[in-house]
Amino acid sequence: MASDDGRLEERPRVVRLRQIDPANDSFRITTRHRDERLELSLERIGLLTPPLVVSAADGLAIVSGFRRVEACRRLGWETIPARVLSEHTPAYACALRAVAENALARPLNLIETSRALTLLEQHAPGGRLPPGDAAALGLPAHAGLAAKLKPLCRMPPEVQEAVLEETVSFAMAGELGGMPAAAAAAFARLFRRLKTSLNKQREIVTLVVEIAAREGIDPCAVLGDPALAGIQGGEELDRNEQTRRIRRRLRQRRFPALLAAEEAFQALRRRLKLGDNLQLSPPRDFEGARFTLSLSFENLEELRSLRDKLDELAGHPDLHRLLTGKGTGFAGAPEP
Amino acid sequence: MSIASLYVDRQVADLPETRRICSRLGMPAAYVENAEQLYADLAAAEDPVGSGKKRLFLTRNKGAFLKECPGTRHYTCCGYRILHIGSYCIMDCSYCILQAYFHPPLLQYYVNHEELFRELERCFGARGIQRIGTGEFTDSLIWEPWTELSRTLAMRFARQDRAVLELKTKTANIDGLLDLAHRQKTILAWSLNTERVIHSEERGTASLGARLRAAARSAEAGFPVAFHFDPVLIYEGGEAEYRQVVDRLFDAVAAERIVWISLGAFRFMPDLKAVIRKRFPGSTIIYGEFIAGLDGKARYFKPLRMQALRSLAQAIRRRSPTTCVYLCMEDDEVWRHALDVTPAERGGLARMLDEAAVKHCGLQAEAGGR
Repeated sequence: MASDDGRLEERPRVVRLRQIDPANDSFRITTRHRDERLELSLERIGLLTPPLVVSAADGLAIVSGFRRVEACRRLGWETIPARVLSEHTPAYACALRAVAENALARPLNLIETSRALTLLEQHAPGGRLPPGDAAALGLPAHAGLAAKLKPLCRMPPEVQEAVLEETVSFAMAGELGGMPAAAAAAFARLFRRLKTSLNKQREIVTLVVEIAAREGIDPCAVLGDPALAGIQGGEELDRNEQTRRIRRRLRQRRFPALLAAEEAFQALRRRLKLGDNLQLSPPRDFEGARFTLSLSFENLEELRSLRDKLDELAGHPDLHRLLTGKGTGFAGAPEP
Repeated sequence: MSIASLYVDRQVADLPETRRICSRLGMPAAYVENAEQLYADLAAAEDPVGSGKKRLFLTRNKGAFLKECPGTRHYTCCGYRILHIGSYCIMDCSYCILQAYFHPPLLQYYVNHEELFRELERCFGARGIQRIGTGEFTDSLIWEPWTELSRTLAMRFARQDRAVLELKTKTANIDGLLDLAHRQKTILAWSLNTERVIHSEERGTASLGARLRAAARSAEAGFPVAFHFDPVLIYEGGEAEYRQVVDRLFDAVAAERIVWISLGAFRFMPDLKAVIRKRFPGSTIIYGEFIAGLDGKARYFKPLRMQALRSLAQAIRRRSPTTCVYLCMEDDEVWRHALDVTPAERGGLARMLDEAAVKHCGLQAEAGGR
């Protein structure tokens, strides 16, 4: 990191708040929003650390201290002390300070890290962030990880918010990042509502994307299925149940024949009245030839009872249908 | 697709076959000391799978030329033997398993033919019927413009009566073979699909009409012919379209010239899915109702493929009740549903095919063989 021995930075001086452009977010790293405690602290104790600003053609731009400036403005202050960088300060030097003042004061979250990397790379000489600078700022120096992090801050706000509240993981955000913005935002909204695990999110994304590809429609149209909206609108359903039903609905649309066979199999199995001590399982996805029947018992009496049940079962017409109907998906089975 | 770069393994630079191919290609060759570097360069390409189709590497086969078909125990395999003349393909079918089978996939052609022929002679001396093909790791006839291997092989097979060579292709490159005294020991075989599938999924292949015309000419030249409906894809309206292909096939070729017809539903190693998604973003073939098969490959849900295969088999039976029809890599349940028989009831699939080869190719069956 290039050191300027503080030559670029002037001593704190008093500036008018209206000189500071509130719309200039060029150097914003923080994702934190208004905090009333900060306003209270400013009111009672005063501004302990003056914000860092840089002179620009039409006033001053904030480099670090966005929340402090905003809080002062909200308190109705007209002037504040600020550290002012000269207008000749290179943008990369400003970016380094912006990141340093945030990263060295607290751990950056994923979006802030993404913003920091993007900001530095944007202004770095030659467009490449020197690994030494990244390391000095506590940013990931590994090129692969940095490459995955950088797009985060350009994703739709819904995705970024979901990442911040940890309802969407970094891994899932990466997957959503490869989608059109509208689809990524729609998934983020869904996952923020369901608060479900990464595996289930992945299953939902895969199902939706594959249905959309097969049907030649947009993933948003799949997510807009009224049946899915109905499940999410069901006030009586908790999130787990909503997630289960949404997954099932999507699987039904993606694998209609397989799901129909599963339901028909279950309907036939119910008619066998197996009880709690007998479990009958089909081959996985009905692909293999072998069914599995398992017995659980505590004593000889229960075992004898199960033996009688097995004898009865062997002659049951529905067991015959279960064993022979696999090839047709149990066509003609009773309604589930 | 044409060859853009020619690479020659320095160790085979002076072999006659190398010189012939270089001369026919008429392009400068880069001589390769270390094949690993060639593979590394290809792997670093933007689209290694596509790029590998344009780079031809002439080298020697360091392993066996004859290999067993890589079947699995869960599904019935035909017991075909692969003659490994080269690998990969210049055509570009979306579903091609070779895209994910080789790492990285590179068009390779083996020029150490003396070793190949020695191995073949040993095979000809073995007991029992042998069915041997070159179309497993590559298309058998894409090499015709630059080599005469198919012709040479057909002549070698014509000199014996225990083995039959099957040349499997999606091209119409048969002109160099038709005048041969083949003695029916070479089967010319075509992979067939519907017009829709050929148009959308089989880039750079001959049209259905061209394949059938080539098959008809081959049959007229006395060659036994065979057909492979593989992969059968399941899509709306597909059954009717496959039936139309069957009708066109039997309109073009006399049933008595057909040694066998195989049917195989689309199946793929899981790794292929990402390759298809990336290289063929408009293809929807991977979005069928696939489940994980017992061999780890993705397969259509069983009732769906049973129905598709049965429909196709019935269409064939209507036109030719006696033609040998078999399923590629399916279990007894699918066989029973699609063909009303299991391989075991016919003595096993290998035996069914051996008998068809004996009948159509004049092979001499030998007791105790295989």
